[in-house]
Amino acid sequence: MVQLATLRARHPGAWPAAGGGRDQWSAPKEAPPEDGAAAVRAVLCEVLDPELPISLVDLGLVYGVAFDRGAARIDLTFTATACPCMDFIKQDVRDRVSLEPWVRSVEIREVWHPPWTTSMITERGRKQLRGFGVSA
Amino acid sequence: MPEYADYELTAQERKAKELEAEAALKAKVQGGYILESPAEMTPGYRKALVVQLTVQADTELMSAPAYWFAARHAPTANTQVSAHAIIQDELAHANIAYRLLEDLGESKEQLVYGREPHQFKHPYGFDQPLDNWAELVVANGFFDRAGITLLGDVHRNTSYGPLKRALVKVDMEETFHLRHGEVWMRRLVRSGRTASALLQRCVDWMFPMTVEWFGLPDHLKRHSGQLDYRLKGLTNDELRQVWMASTVPLCERLGLKVPAHYCERLDEYVLDYPFPCEYDPDAKQWLFAEGEISWNQVFERWKGRGPMNEIYVESIRRSRDTVASWFN
Repeated sequence: MVQLATLRARHPGAWPAAGGGRDQWSAPKEAPPEDGAAAVRAVLCEVLDPELPISLVDLGLVYGVAFDRGAARIDLTFTATACPCMDFIKQDVRDRVSLEPWVRSVEIREVWHPPWTTSMITERGRKQLRGFGVSA
Repeated sequence: MPEYADYELTAQERKAKELEAEAALKAKVQGGYILESPAEMTPGYRKALVVQLTVQADTELMSAPAYWFAARHAPTANTQVSAHAIIQDELAHANIAYRLLEDLGESKEQLVYGREPHQFKHPYGFDQPLDNWAELVVANGFFDRAGITLLGDVHRNTSYGPLKRALVKVDMEETFHLRHGEVWMRRLVRSGRTASALLQRCVDWMFPMTVEWFGLPDHLKRHSGQLDYRLKGLTNDELRQVWMASTVPLCERLGLKVPAHYCERLDEYVLDYPFPCEYDPDAKQWLFAEGEISWNQVFERWKGRGPMNEIYVESIRRSRDTVASWFN
């Protein structure tokens, strides 16, 4: 017999990242934030790259965030022009941001300039990647 | 080569010495020791590692043709790219495992081209046809999740250093495959009744297929070299539970029925069908009504291989002789 509580305590790392981190999304904020753009950026910190366990913000893919009367606009780039994960990333961004009741619409603009390089990964992202055994 | 002094020993003494060496290595790896070269291995350790790596390599290799046949059903150019990115990853993962086997003196050439199709050691699930896009994405959601459950455990616990490092890349890419499965399962459910029904049909045959993949239950498995040599950390039943603990809630969230539920009293997932049971590969149906069968019957079915076994193996090897002939 396997007791899941025991198993979880003994092997906390054993669970595959279900939902690509969707299970870790925080509850939406009820009240509209004072700084909408900053709040959108904050929730984007919960959206993970489909392969690496770091957020799109820490990976340096979010080039800009604008927010005006409920309309969020996100300038997003990708690590490669034909990245096979583009669809997932956009869907995750859309789903996470629109989870907030004060967001009425989400527009994603694909931006290719400047081209993404590993130098755009934040210090926190670099640290997380090293912890995972990847150097960037 | 045995040392000269060993020739003085009787067969019995030699056997005792070998057992002592095996026990010493087991104790050492249980204490956290990481082996870096085949020179440090005992015959028992090497054998257990070769079996583990062969299953790993063959599983990755045979997933490629299974997914490749199914990728023809991709609905758009973008999804075609995603599906083929997964196939390319799987071939690379196979290559990594065969490469590690070569370090242990095995031949990749012999393993890939020298065996009969039924001698490959991949799970029975990768002998089955994936006939539409829904089956491919559920394979990503279920089979790749089984892969990441098994290999993630090896990654965290293995006492073989080269394998531990190689699995960093493998695990990250398997996460992408799992995401591909989940995202598409969610999309198909949202799209309406036709796709939902198709998805349910996939779950009906692929859920028990993956549950069986984790193998003999712990109470029937008397001995595991892989655990003793710390080539993995969790038992078969524990791994099966980890898989169910993420798969069952996913299906429930999507409104898909699965023949398993969480039992609070036992604090584990419980199957709602006779396990193990017989499978009809032509109808893609588990014969729940016929009741429980023995694990020997399961092993017989696995050994007999499934309907796509020869086709998948040949799809990988078919052009080799033709191209070789151009060079002669």
